[in-house]
Amino acid sequence: MSNSVDRRRFLKVLGVTGAGAAAVSACGIGPEPTERLIPYLIQPEDQIPGTATYYATTCRECAAGCGVRVRVREGRAVKLEGNPDSPINRGRLCARGQAALQGLYNPDRVAHPMVRNASGVFEDIDWDGAIQRLTAKVREAQGKGIVFLTGAEQSSFGDLVDEWMRQVGGRHLSYEPFGFEALRAGNRMAFGTGTLPTYDFANAKYILSFGADFLDTWLSPVEFQNGFSRAHAFDAGRPASMSKFVYVAPRLSLTGMNADQWIAARPGTEGMLALALAQVIVTQHLARLPTPPDASRLSALLVGYAPRAVAATIGIDEAMIVRLAREFASSGGGLAVAGGMATQSPNAAQIVAAVNILNYAAGAVGTLVKFGADLAIGSTNTFADLTALMSEMAAGRVALLFVHGANPAHSVPGAFQQALGKVAYKVSFSSYLDETAAACDLILPDHHPLEQWGDSRPRAGVTALQQPVVQPVFDTRPTGDVILKLSGKTGTFQDYLQNKWRARHATNFDQYWMDGLSKGGIYIEAPARTVRLAPTASGIRATAPVDSTGDEQTVVAFPHPILHDGRGANKPWLQELPDPVSKIAWHSWVEVHPDTAAKWGLATGDFLLLKSSFGAQKFPAWITRSVRPDVLAVPTGQGHTAYGRYAKDRSANAFELLGAQPNDYGGRSFTVRASATKTGEHRKIVTTEAGPRELGLGTTEVLPLARAKALHRGDHPFHYEETPEYAKDAVEWWGERQHEKASLGNYRGEHPRWGLAIDLAKCTGCGACVTACYAENNIATVGEELMQRGREMAWLRLERYWRTAEDGGPQGAVNQPMLCQQCGNAPCEPVCPVYAAYHTPDGLNAQVYNRCVGTRYCSNNCPYKVRFFNWHNYAERDGQYDAFPDPLSMLLNPDVTVREKGVMEKCTFCVQRIRGAQNQARLENRNVRDGDILTACQQTCPSDAIVFGDLNDRNSRVFELAGNPRGYHVLAGLNTKPAITYLARVVAQASPSRG
Amino acid sequence: MAEQQSPPSRLTYDYVTRTIARTLGSPSRGYFVLLGAAVALLTIGITTLVLLIRYGLGLAGYSHPVYWAVYITCFVFWVGIAHSGTLISAILFLFRSGWRTAVYRTAEAMTVFAVMTAGLFPLIHIGRQWYFYWLIPYPNERGLWPNFKSPLIWDEFAIGTYFTVSTVFLIMGLIPDIAAVRDLATGWRKKLYQLCSVGWRGTNEEWRHFTRGYLYLAALATPLVLSVHSVVSWDFAMAIVPGWHATLFAPYFVAGAIYSGCGMVITLLTPIRKLFGLEELITVKHFENLAKLCLLTGSIVSFSYVTENFVAWFSGNPHERAAFWYRAFGPYWWASWTMNICNGLLPWLLWSKKVRTNITALFVISIFVNIGMWFERYVIIVVSLAGEPYTTWTNAVYNPTWADWGIMAGSFGWFFMWFLLFVKNFPAVSISEVKEVLAPPRSKISRVHA
Amino acid sequence: MMPLPKPLQEIFQPPPTPGILGVFQYLDATLDAIKELRAGGHTDFTVYSPIPRHEIEDALGQPVSPVRMFTLSGGIAGCAIGAWLTLWMSYDWPIVLGGKPVGSVPPYVVIMFEMTILFGALSTILGILFNAAFAARRLGTIQYDPRFTNDRFGIFVPADARKSAAVEKLLRDAGAEEVRRG
Repeated sequence: MSNSVDRRRFLKVLGVTGAGAAAVSACGIGPEPTERLIPYLIQPEDQIPGTATYYATTCRECAAGCGVRVRVREGRAVKLEGNPDSPINRGRLCARGQAALQGLYNPDRVAHPMVRNASGVFEDIDWDGAIQRLTAKVREAQGKGIVFLTGAEQSSFGDLVDEWMRQVGGRHLSYEPFGFEALRAGNRMAFGTGTLPTYDFANAKYILSFGADFLDTWLSPVEFQNGFSRAHAFDAGRPASMSKFVYVAPRLSLTGMNADQWIAARPGTEGMLALALAQVIVTQHLARLPTPPDASRLSALLVGYAPRAVAATIGIDEAMIVRLAREFASSGGGLAVAGGMATQSPNAAQIVAAVNILNYAAGAVGTLVKFGADLAIGSTNTFADLTALMSEMAAGRVALLFVHGANPAHSVPGAFQQALGKVAYKVSFSSYLDETAAACDLILPDHHPLEQWGDSRPRAGVTALQQPVVQPVFDTRPTGDVILKLSGKTGTFQDYLQNKWRARHATNFDQYWMDGLSKGGIYIEAPARTVRLAPTASGIRATAPVDSTGDEQTVVAFPHPILHDGRGANKPWLQELPDPVSKIAWHSWVEVHPDTAAKWGLATGDFLLLKSSFGAQKFPAWITRSVRPDVLAVPTGQGHTAYGRYAKDRSANAFELLGAQPNDYGGRSFTVRASATKTGEHRKIVTTEAGPRELGLGTTEVLPLARAKALHRGDHPFHYEETPEYAKDAVEWWGERQHEKASLGNYRGEHPRWGLAIDLAKCTGCGACVTACYAENNIATVGEELMQRGREMAWLRLERYWRTAEDGGPQGAVNQPMLCQQCGNAPCEPVCPVYAAYHTPDGLNAQVYNRCVGTRYCSNNCPYKVRFFNWHNYAERDGQYDAFPDPLSMLLNPDVTVREKGVMEKCTFCVQRIRGAQNQARLENRNVRDGDILTACQQTCPSDAIVFGDLNDRNSRVFELAGNPRGYHVLAGLNTKPAITYLARVVAQASPSRG
Repeated sequence: MAEQQSPPSRLTYDYVTRTIARTLGSPSRGYFVLLGAAVALLTIGITTLVLLIRYGLGLAGYSHPVYWAVYITCFVFWVGIAHSGTLISAILFLFRSGWRTAVYRTAEAMTVFAVMTAGLFPLIHIGRQWYFYWLIPYPNERGLWPNFKSPLIWDEFAIGTYFTVSTVFLIMGLIPDIAAVRDLATGWRKKLYQLCSVGWRGTNEEWRHFTRGYLYLAALATPLVLSVHSVVSWDFAMAIVPGWHATLFAPYFVAGAIYSGCGMVITLLTPIRKLFGLEELITVKHFENLAKLCLLTGSIVSFSYVTENFVAWFSGNPHERAAFWYRAFGPYWWASWTMNICNGLLPWLLWSKKVRTNITALFVISIFVNIGMWFERYVIIVVSLAGEPYTTWTNAVYNPTWADWGIMAGSFGWFFMWFLLFVKNFPAVSISEVKEVLAPPRSKISRVHA
Repeated sequence: MMPLPKPLQEIFQPPPTPGILGVFQYLDATLDAIKELRAGGHTDFTVYSPIPRHEIEDALGQPVSPVRMFTLSGGIAGCAIGAWLTLWMSYDWPIVLGGKPVGSVPPYVVIMFEMTILFGALSTILGILFNAAFAARRLGTIQYDPRFTNDRFGIFVPADARKSAAVEKLLRDAGAEEVRRG
């Protein structure tokens, strides 16, 4: 083949990959249409073919506003990674953040503007036509009520909306399904300020959470998880210690699983408990009391909360309360937080206030509870405001409604839908055809956040900048531009944004702007604000809820840690990621305590019909001891009636059970009374948790804190021997012989031995690593049906083993990430007839996909069961199990093969990243440094539980950790010589039961 | 060789020749019905295979971590069936036991076709069937040879050798008989047999080399037959899966193989004997001897079961114990108890001569022996994987689908098709060797009678 | 017999040999005839029998068949090839598996064993075919009777016109039920 042809083909290929995005933006369909190849004749200066470019921007999957770096290859965003510069997530990212890509390349995005025609069906419309039509609508609606409904928008976009609404005489309303009204109300009561402070978990010595799920859904999960793991981890760079974490809630959430102790207090009595603790602290002078006036006020309002008085009501014994109080105060850094489960009962505001009192009494306010650096989500409108709007709409007093970044039709199903019907003209800016958009008259699809300019102010002092990282995938437009056009202003939203920023910082603006772009935002320390006990504080009362009679159950609807309020449901990665607690994927469930189940003759998988006074839904039962017997818990997030192929008609919507009335503090109550009846239907639960047997036959190790503290280098605190004494010589002699015989060809000479250290004391089981692995390694999602048949492909899975207390109930759980151990003596290798599984000189247990014929012997012989087989062709275009329907295929990592049907696949420590770093080092004529290589799981882990490195490098972090006395190898007795060292979980109990 | 001192007058050489040659006569309707059924099953199998190749192995019931299931079960099952053939023809030949002569041809044919069947499964069950040839050591552009450390390659060599040797062994034994048939046949059949009999005439020279060679073939086939199922058992014994990883496996599997093989021989001989009216050549005595073999090997198998469980307990290895507990009382209890009853208890019926000499009873028992042995492999393969106690997080319960059964049905069709074609076209009972155990025509004896 | 292509014709159907064919009904009669013939100095006569009878072998007193040499050499060759195959192929592209030596003999013993059997068996077959074929070639085309594969024994004595009468008489006396000249 002649060179010229080679070159042309070369350019062609570049054209396909490079200009692809540009091409699609023009014709609005799938990936690269081959008829519009544009070779790189003039190459974009920031694009070197085959080399990734990273752009800093901001994650908009939730209101936390984490900074992200987007890995862009030839014009496609292929991976999201946390932005180390961001003070919020410090370079970490959660599963939902990772999955933002699947929002960008979602096959069910609204590809172009659509309008509802006379016959009520959507038809395409061009942008100019749409905008003309809308301009007219705005004109005629002026004065008749115009409302712009957005999600939490503390951003220049929000400001723009405000301005425009002022201009047209409408109003801007922001709505988050899980607002934090109770928190704000509680703060108002205690401190007279309705803002949300930020919490410094990292420096807490003792964490007491009243239902606040700060690891999964509460305020700023990644930030808090990162802080929590610093505080709660064992010897995390501090004098060997570990802050105890006590979780008070009727149900164990992801956060609860990580507690050292779970106190299942009666729902609604958390406030009482808090005040009782405060009472003990104050009366026993356990903490340095605040100024006299406060002190007197405190003791005044704490009268009547002596443990003896309230213990019975709360449902835990007095001694326990006193003990907790002592521990909390004496830790010299106790932090109590309230939210989630605890703030769902009608007296939630009271509870939060009570917890504030506890913090105040213990002196946490101002040190660990930081007012001043207030969280933006605190300034979204309350649920009461939404309900007010709904009644206006219902009354026909809203002529024109804009919806952007919110889907109330899903989170307030009945009421909002009806109200929506009464609105004359409804416009949606949604990128997806969600329930709300489906009910609108005009859809002007917004760019995905990764495609457009923007910023957000997640908390005081942090202004995160958001820039387009790829060409628009579809014929969409930034809503900012649309608004500017409608309001008759010139310029694009980008100009508007820059002006905003210029206004903030005129001098030497370009430098400022470039800083913002490169760092992903401007970060300054917000001035702290000291708060004092407010006069209203004396009015704080913690009352126990009245026991309602009748056979109705307390049903708690909790935010799904992964799908959250349902916005994640259209992303296959998130659907396939099992819920960290129940390990259930692809559908929702109801958590039932075994005793209750026995009472009703219920088995896991039996459907339970929950009928509240607002609605009824069927959920398959998941029988677990991680919930109180008198409580049923259901996750939100599923049960969409629209929102794309992955979300639509999947299981049941928990919001259906909830009412649409705000309670006295303006929030929404997520606990309802509902009747539960067995329907007789049954389904097979889609779970990764194993079948019928007693779990955890010695793969996890747990140490009591005292024991762990006493450990010295070289100790071996575990019940088993890596190699029994009598076998040592034999094994060593044998090993040497083997390896000298094996040191041949490429295997001769010095090589690194790549290894991993996973600290179970840090791992929270959040699942970010799993999704990161999917994203990095092109792992196929197999869907509900195949997952039910045990065919999920997750190279990295999280095994959740309950730690059972004396009474048999769970104390919490140990989460063990299980992935290929890259064994030194890998059992999988010698059994492969075609050398598809073999050992690389640098100690990796490689899998050559193209060489594999699929005998599957390797998996049978793998004691860790971390090899996964392609039962179907998951990459087959329009195949039954197509995992990458266009344009989802655009996020495939070009560095990793997409596997064919009939081959085995597995984790190889992100070998593509290893080789990449080695090549880079070679170019720079140096050796690979420790920390050059981050595996995808390590990079994203919010709690920094995973460390990768060279075990032959005596100065590497992983070498140091591998020598840690807490370190152990799973199934070391098999002499597989794993490259992964697990560091035992440490718990504050005296005698922890092994997982 | 053992001779019958006073042979029934009808049992002359001529009678033997003609009786056996008669089995090659024009087939009955019953024969065609059977053949049709076999071909139908085979068609099901082929259809399933095509679908498997198009849509992937996912059509079968596999679920993580049960990566081997019904296909490998059938593979081991058929290899096992293949064993009694060579045992009867080779080992009993070396032991000079006369009774084998009437049954060994059937057994041997069964062996060849069973191996042919077994050999298909490794090709069917792999993920990329179209690359099966990568397991063969041939010079290729990848510059890569197969990995001879892998028991699967051992399999390939063992099964390959076994197929070749048992085939030539069968053909060798056939030559004198084909010659005999040739000399009776007419038309196209004569031409065919002339070709197959490579000009055999029964001269002293031919017999001299033939008998020697046959002896050495038997001597080679004997260690081979023992090695083949040992190698197959090492597919499992070499792995570290509790329930597989046992030194007991080789003898245990060989015994099991012969046990199932004898069962299958009885299953096949009973109808053939009826169909072709060979009652006088294949007597109850033959069946009784086969039953005795079943009893012996069956007892070895039951003993192995006991040993397995004892060792699991005695080793004190928690994983071993868990595995065997799961096997007996886990979700697959029904499978393992089917196996225990069919292979552990049933053979004990054969202690009674009444049962041993009752063809119907033997036939029924032999069916159960086959079922039992199939389940033994199912239990060893599927249950050990499903309940692997290392990381119990991944335990799964596996349920076969139509794709599993389809291929299995196909394998039976394939096997019986070949077998039926064989018995109709070649002497299913050895002509020359049956004569060997008869008294040769002697003028002196005949004078006495005259 | 059907005509064969050129070279095979030469080998399998050489020009006819003149001689006497005696057909016997009884084994003992055949044995008598053999004894007589050997006493009469005949060595190169051929005995037909439907089955191998040790009496006949004894009567003929033939040496042990050379087939065993074929078996032995085949077996040894097979074992050697097995060893070469496994070891050479392992070192041709050394790949380390499970921390084991690149060429480790124990697992290769299996291959060597199977190859031994395979080659041994195949060369045995060749041995039989070659020896039988060459024997037939030496005898040339001699008379044959289909009954010999059924229930009759036969003796063919190559004899020219001069000897044939004596041979014929000898066979008849021994108890041949039929004697043919050709």
